[in-house]
Amino acid sequence: MKNKHLKRMASIVAIALIALVSLSAALSGEEVMQEVYTRDSGNNMSANLVMTLTNSRGSTRERSIQQYRQNDSDGEKKIMFFLAPSDVKNTSFLSYSYADGRSDDQWIYLPALNRVKRVASDKKNDSFMGSDFTYDDMGTRHPSADTHKVIRTETIDGRKCLVVESIPKEAKPTYAKTLAWVVENEWIGLKKEFYLPNGKVGKKLEIDSYEKTDGVWVITDMTMSNVDKNSSTRIQMLDVTFNNDLKDSVFTERQMKIGPRI
Amino acid sequence: MRFFSSFAKKPILILVVLVTLLSLFVFGIATNAKLVTDLNKYMPSTHPAFMASDEAEELFNIQDSILLVVEHPTSIYNTGTLEKIQRITEDLPRQFEEIAEGKVTSLATADNITSYDGDMEVQPFYTDVPTTDEELAALEASVKANSMINGRNVSFDSTATLIIAEIDPESDATSLQKRLLEYAKSWEGPERLYVAGRPIVEGSLAELGPKDMAIMFPLVILFMIILLYLLLRSVRDTTINMIIVLFGTLFAFGTKTLLGIPIYAVDTMIPVMLIAIGVAYGIHMHNAIHHRIQDNPNLTRDQLAQSVLKEMIRPIFMTALTTAIGFMALMTSEVLPVRYFGLFAAIGVISEMVLALILFPASIYLFGIPKKKAKGLVTKQVKAPKQNRWASILMDHQRTVIVITVLIILLGGYGATKVWIDTSFLANFEPDSPIALTDVFVNQKFGGTSSLNIILSSEDEGTFKEPAVLQAMDDLQTRLSQDPMVGATFSLTTFLKQMNLVMHENDAAFETVPESRELVAQYLLLYEFSGDPETLEKVVDYDYTKANITFQLKSDSSAVLGSIIALAEEAAPTFASHGIEISFAGSGYKAFVFSSLLLKGQIISLGLSFIIVALLLTLLFKNIWVGLAGTVPIAITAVVNFGVMGLVNIPLSSATALISSIAVGIGVDYSIHLLEHYTNRRLKGFSREEATRETISHTGRAIILNAIAVMGGFAVLMFSVFPPNRQVGALIVLNMAMSALLTLTILIVIINYLDKKNRFLPKKIQQLQLTDTGVNKV
Repeated sequence: MKNKHLKRMASIVAIALIALVSLSAALSGEEVMQEVYTRDSGNNMSANLVMTLTNSRGSTRERSIQQYRQNDSDGEKKIMFFLAPSDVKNTSFLSYSYADGRSDDQWIYLPALNRVKRVASDKKNDSFMGSDFTYDDMGTRHPSADTHKVIRTETIDGRKCLVVESIPKEAKPTYAKTLAWVVENEWIGLKKEFYLPNGKVGKKLEIDSYEKTDGVWVITDMTMSNVDKNSSTRIQMLDVTFNNDLKDSVFTERQMKIGPRI
Repeated sequence: MRFFSSFAKKPILILVVLVTLLSLFVFGIATNAKLVTDLNKYMPSTHPAFMASDEAEELFNIQDSILLVVEHPTSIYNTGTLEKIQRITEDLPRQFEEIAEGKVTSLATADNITSYDGDMEVQPFYTDVPTTDEELAALEASVKANSMINGRNVSFDSTATLIIAEIDPESDATSLQKRLLEYAKSWEGPERLYVAGRPIVEGSLAELGPKDMAIMFPLVILFMIILLYLLLRSVRDTTINMIIVLFGTLFAFGTKTLLGIPIYAVDTMIPVMLIAIGVAYGIHMHNAIHHRIQDNPNLTRDQLAQSVLKEMIRPIFMTALTTAIGFMALMTSEVLPVRYFGLFAAIGVISEMVLALILFPASIYLFGIPKKKAKGLVTKQVKAPKQNRWASILMDHQRTVIVITVLIILLGGYGATKVWIDTSFLANFEPDSPIALTDVFVNQKFGGTSSLNIILSSEDEGTFKEPAVLQAMDDLQTRLSQDPMVGATFSLTTFLKQMNLVMHENDAAFETVPESRELVAQYLLLYEFSGDPETLEKVVDYDYTKANITFQLKSDSSAVLGSIIALAEEAAPTFASHGIEISFAGSGYKAFVFSSLLLKGQIISLGLSFIIVALLLTLLFKNIWVGLAGTVPIAITAVVNFGVMGLVNIPLSSATALISSIAVGIGVDYSIHLLEHYTNRRLKGFSREEATRETISHTGRAIILNAIAVMGGFAVLMFSVFPPNRQVGALIVLNMAMSALLTLTILIVIINYLDKKNRFLPKKIQQLQLTDTGVNKV
C-alpha cells in the first residue's frame, strides 16, 4: 500500500519536474555536463570487468578484472583484481582520487614480486591500463575543465539526446574538442567523439548496452575506437551491483595482497 | 651491305633521319626522364628475404631515422639547450612533412623508467624545462642512472644528445637532407648541430654522384676529343667519332625514356661504356679508310666507300653483336635496373655500329676522299718500323710472352682472393668530408648511425614472456655487443632489465632478466599501466610470438653487417630449441641482401657472357679454337681487374663489378678485329709471319689508338672529388690497357701457335693453301 502510494507520489513529482524542466529555458552546456558529472552512480559498486584490447593488426588481448568502487565526500576509491590472463592473476591495482583536486594516488601489487608499488601518474590523459581509454574517459574529468555548449538535439535509440560540444581549457589538449550525446533527463552519455586539432575524429566512444541496476544507470558494454591508431578497447561490465556493504578495509594495501576474496 | 652503302649516298636523308631521331630522343628525355635514386625501388620486392623484412618492418614499425645531434661545448644540462631540444622536438613534424607527429624521440619525450621513494614512474625526463641548478643536476642524475638513455640518447660525457626522427619511407632523401642541413644550421649557437643517419647519407650520395659526373663528364669528352684529334689528325673523323658515341648514348637513354622506364643510378655507367666501345668502331673505320687509300691512292669515292664497307662490315657487325649479347647477359640479373641496363647498353651499342657503318662512307661521298696528312700518326704506318719490330720481338719471344702472361694471371689470381665485397654508402665520401666526420663523431658519442634488426618468431603465444627465451635474447645482445662495431642494443629485455632494476631500488644485482614468467607478465602490465604502451610494440608483438632486437652499428659497410649477421646466426640453434626462428630486417639488411644479389647476378652474367662470346666467335669463325682463343684476353683482363681491386683495396661493389663487363665488351672487339684481319690476310695468301706483321701494324695500331683515346678520356675521372667516380676511372684505364696489351701479345702468340698446328684456318682452306702455295698476294 505504502509502496504504491510512494510510487505514485514519485511519478507525480517526476512529471512535475519534467514539465518544469521543459518549461524552463533549455539547459546550458555547463549545466548538462554538471548533471552528467553528479549523476547518481551509487555509493559503491562491484563488477566483473572484461576488457578486450584490439590493436591495429586485429590481434586481441583479453583481461578479466574484479572491480570494487567506493565513493564518499573525500573522493573515490577503486580496487581492481586481475583474474585473467593467468600470468597476471592476482595482480591488483588501487587508486584514490580526491575531490579537492589533488593528484590521484595509485598503487600496484605484483604477486610475483610480492610487493606493492606506487605508480605515479600525473596526467589525466594517460592511457588507462594501456587501453584506448584515458583516466579522463573513465569519468574523472571535472566539467569545469572544459567549456560546454549544447549545439543541437538528436535521437538515439528513441531517446532524445542533447549534443554537447566541449572545448578544453588547458593549453595543449590532445583533442581540440569533444561532442557528447547525453540522454536528456537521464544524464547518461550514449556516444562521444573526440576531435583532433586538424578537425578529424581522433577517437570515438560507442555504447552498445546500458541498463538501470539498483536504480543506477550503468553502461554495460562500451567500445572506444582510436581512429588515428586503428585500435580499440571494449569494456563489458558483468554482474554489476551497487550500494553493497563494502568496508573501508577493502581499499587497502593489505587487501591488494589478499586478493578479491571479500 | 647494300643498305649501308645506298644509305650512305644520301647525306640529306641521313641528316633528316638523324635530326628527327635526335629531336625525338631529346624530347623524350626532356619530358619523360625520371631519375630514381631510392634504393628500395631497385629491390626485387618479391624476394623472400625482402618480403620477410618488409613484414617485420611493418609489424614493429621499423623505419629509417635521421639523427639530429645537439652538441654543447661543456654540457647539455643547461636551460637554454634543454629548451632548444624541446622546441626542435615539437617543431620538426611541423616543418617537415616527412616526419609525422609523435615520431620524434629526444630527451624531452623519451620514456624514463625510474623509481623514487618507492614510486614507480614512466615519463619523459622533463616536460617543464628545468631552470634551477638543483633541477638541472637532478635531470643529469636521472639520465646517468638510466642505461636505456645514457650513452644512447645522451653521450656519456654529457656534451651531446640526439633528437631522433623517424621519416616516411616514401620521402625523397635528397631534398630532405638539404632542407634538414639548413634547418639544423638555423638552431646553432652556442650549440653545434649535426645531421646524420642513413637517409642523410643516401640523400647526399644521390645528390653528389650525378653532380660530380655532370662536371667530370664534359671533361672526359673534351680530353677524348683532343686525344682523338691528335691521334687521327682529322677534324672530320674526330667529329664523326664523337657523333657516334654521343648519338649512341642518346639512343639508349632516348628509347628508355620513350618507353617510360625511369633512369636509375646505375645508368650513369651507360655513357661510360658506350663511349669506350663506340670510339673503337670509329677508329677501326678510320683506320680501314686510310689503309685503303695508302694501298691504292687512285680509288674513286664510290670504290673507296664500297671497299671499306666490304672489309669492315663483318668485323664491326660481329664486334657489335658480341658486345651487345654480352650486355644482354646482364638481363639474367634479379635486379630490374641491371636488366634494363643490359638491354639499353646493348641497344646503344647496336645504334653505334649502324652509325659507324653509315657515317664514314657517307663522309667519303659527301666530303671526298680524305687527304693524306704527313704529320698524322696513322700515315706513318707504311714504314712503321716500331710496329714491325714489335712483331719480330713477339715472334722471337713467344715463350717469354707466355711466361709473363702466366705470371700476370697468377698475380691477378692471388689479388682476386683478396677482393672483398662491400657496399657502403659512407665509403663513398672522403674521410674528411662533413658527412663522414659527422658519422665518426656520432659513432664515438652514441650507439651508432646504422642499425640491424634481428627478428625472432615463434608459433606459440607468450613465448617472449618466458625467462629462458629472454635470457637467450640477452645473451645474444651481450655477445654481439662485444664486437667493436656494435654500439647499443635494444629489445624487450632492455625494458625488462631496467624495470627489474628500478623495482629493486636500483640494486645493480637486479639488472637482469626477471626470473619467472609471472614477473615478466606483471612488469609488462605495469609498464602498460604507467607508460606509453606503444613503445612496447616496437620490440614485441601483441601475442608475444615475435620479438625485435635492434642493434646499432658503427658502420654501414655490408662486410661489417655480414659479419654481425654471421655472429647472430650462431645463436640459431639455441633459439631453435625454444621453437624460435631467427631472421633479419631493416633497410641496412635489405641493402646487404641486395648488394650480394646484385653482385651474384653480375658475376653470373659475366661468366655467361664469356660462354656466349666463345660460342659466337666459334660460330663466326666456324672454329672452336678461334672461339676459345678470342676469350683468352678478356678472361685474363677480368682476372687482372679483380686482382688489382684486391691488391689496391677497392671493394667489389655493384658499380665496380659492372666495370668488368667493359672488359668483355671492349676486349672481345679487339679480339675480333685481330682475328678477322689475320684470317683475311692469311686467306689472301700471306704467310704466318707476314700476316702477323700486317695485322699488328694495321689492327694493332687501331687498337692502340682506341685504347689511348679512351684511357686518356677516362683518366680524367681519376681526379674526381667523388671517390666512386675515381675508382670507375682507374678501373676503366686498367681494363682498356689490359685488353689492348693482351690482345696484342698473348692472343697473337696463341693465333700463331694454332696456325702452326693447322688449327686456325678452316680445313678446306688449309688444303687449298697446301696445293696452291704462296700465290695470289693482293
